[in-house]
Amino acid sequence: MIKTVKKLNLDGNFSNTYLLTLQNDKQLYVPKAEDNTDYQNILAWVAEGNTIAEAD
Amino acid sequence: MALSKIDVANMLTGATPVANGGTALTSGFVNGKDPRPSASPLIINGDAAVAQRGTSFTSVSSGSNFPVDRFEFYPTNLGAYTIIQEALTSGEAYNNGFRTALRIDTTTADASPASSDYAILRTKLEGQDLQLFKKGTSNAEKFTLAFWVKSNKTTTGQVNLFDIDNNRLVSGTYATSSANTWEKKVINFPADTTGAFDNDNALSLIVEFFLDGGSNFTSGTAPTAWEAQSNGDRNANNFAIGSSTDNDFAITGVQLEVGEFSSTTLPPFEHESFGNNLQRCQRYFYLNNTVSASMPFASGVVSGTTNSRAVMRHPQPMRAPPTMGRSGNADFKVFCGSTNVDSTNVAFYYPNNYQALLYVDVSSGLTNGQGVVIIDDGGGNAYIQGSAEL
Repeated sequence: MIKTVKKLNLDGNFSNTYLLTLQNDKQLYVPKAEDNTDYQNILAWVAEGNTIAEAD
Repeated sequence: MALSKIDVANMLTGATPVANGGTALTSGFVNGKDPRPSASPLIINGDAAVAQRGTSFTSVSSGSNFPVDRFEFYPTNLGAYTIIQEALTSGEAYNNGFRTALRIDTTTADASPASSDYAILRTKLEGQDLQLFKKGTSNAEKFTLAFWVKSNKTTTGQVNLFDIDNNRLVSGTYATSSANTWEKKVINFPADTTGAFDNDNALSLIVEFFLDGGSNFTSGTAPTAWEAQSNGDRNANNFAIGSSTDNDFAITGVQLEVGEFSSTTLPPFEHESFGNNLQRCQRYFYLNNTVSASMPFASGVVSGTTNSRAVMRHPQPMRAPPTMGRSGNADFKVFCGSTNVDSTNVAFYYPNNYQALLYVDVSSGLTNGQGVVIIDDGGGNAYIQGSAEL
C-alpha cells in the first residue's frame, strides 16, 4: 500500500528514480521503468488520483 | 563394465542400444532424446532450495510473501499463517531426492471467508520463457505440471494456469489422499490454440495453487479446457487451508513440462546445482546482507565533503531495473582513509538491470576525491536488496 511517492533528483537532474514510502513507512527506490512492477503500481496509484511529489 | 551383448538392431535404426539385454527406457531419455525442448526447468526453484529472504515467517496475513524464492504466498483477509522453508528428513519426497519444501501452517483460522477473501500460492513466469508451448497457434502444446504435496487434509485442491496476456484460464485438480503423507501429482492441461504468450520479459503465466477463497472464487466450475478467465472458476475445488488451525500444506518438486506426460513417462525433475538455482532466482530478487560486522557492500569515491557515491553491481543481470531497498541509514558507514564515518542517509539512483548508484550522506569528515568503501556499521544488520519480481 503506497503512502507517498517523490521524485529523486541528483545533481539537479531527475535520477530516473522515485522514493516510494509504503503505509508501514518502509522506503523503496523505484526506477522509472515500465517493466518494474512497483513502477506499474505507482502508475496505477496516480491513475487513482494521487500525485507524485516533486524532488526537494 | 564390458558389454556382453549389444542390440545391433537398435543401433541400425538409430534407437538407443540396450546393453546386456536390459530393458529399454520407456520414460525420460527415451531413444537417447531428452523429451524436453527447453534446456532449463521452466519452474525456477521448484525444489524450494533457495530462500534468500529468510526461512520462516510468522503471522503472515496479507500481501506478497516469499517463503522460498519464486513462490509467492498471498493471503488477503483470510486467516494468518506461518510459512517456512521446511527441511525434509524423511518421506517419499525425501526419498526422491528433495531436501526442502515450502510449508504453510494455518495459525489463525477463518472458516467463513468473505466473498472477496483469498489465499493463493503461486509462481510467475516470463512470456519469453514460454514460447515453446506455441500457445495461440495451431501447433500449440499441452502442459504437464507435476509436484509433491503433503497436507493434514484429505481433500481436493485446484491448481490453475492463468494466462495473463490473454486473460485465459485452465485448471486441474489433485487429491491429497492420505493425510500427512507426501504424494506425487501429475496433472495434464490441454493445449490452447487461442492467445499467444507475449515474447518479452513481462508476466505471462501464473501457476496458481488456490488454497482458499470466498464465494467470488468458488461459485463456478473448475475449467478443464482453456476459457476466458472467470474468478468464480479459480477455486471451485476449495482446499480451504484457512478453515482450521490444524491445517497445513507443503509442496516441493514443482515442474512444468511441454507436452503430455503421465506419472510413468514424466521426465525426472531437473535438480539444478544450488549455485545455478540461486543465480536464476537472482534475476528476480537478491539480498546482499551482512554475514559479518563491518562487511563491505561497494567501493566508490567521495563527492564533496559530506557524501560519497559507489556503483552497486547486481549479482545477476536482472529481469528489469529493480526496486532497491536497504536496512536503516544508521546500519551503514563510509570507510575513508583510516576512519569510519556514520551515514546519515543511504539512497539509490539510476537503477538499471545491471547496477545502481549507491549514494551515502554523512554529516562531515570526508575528503573530496578520496576512495571510500560503504560498509556495515559494525552491528551486523546492514543489507541491500534488489527486486525485479514479476
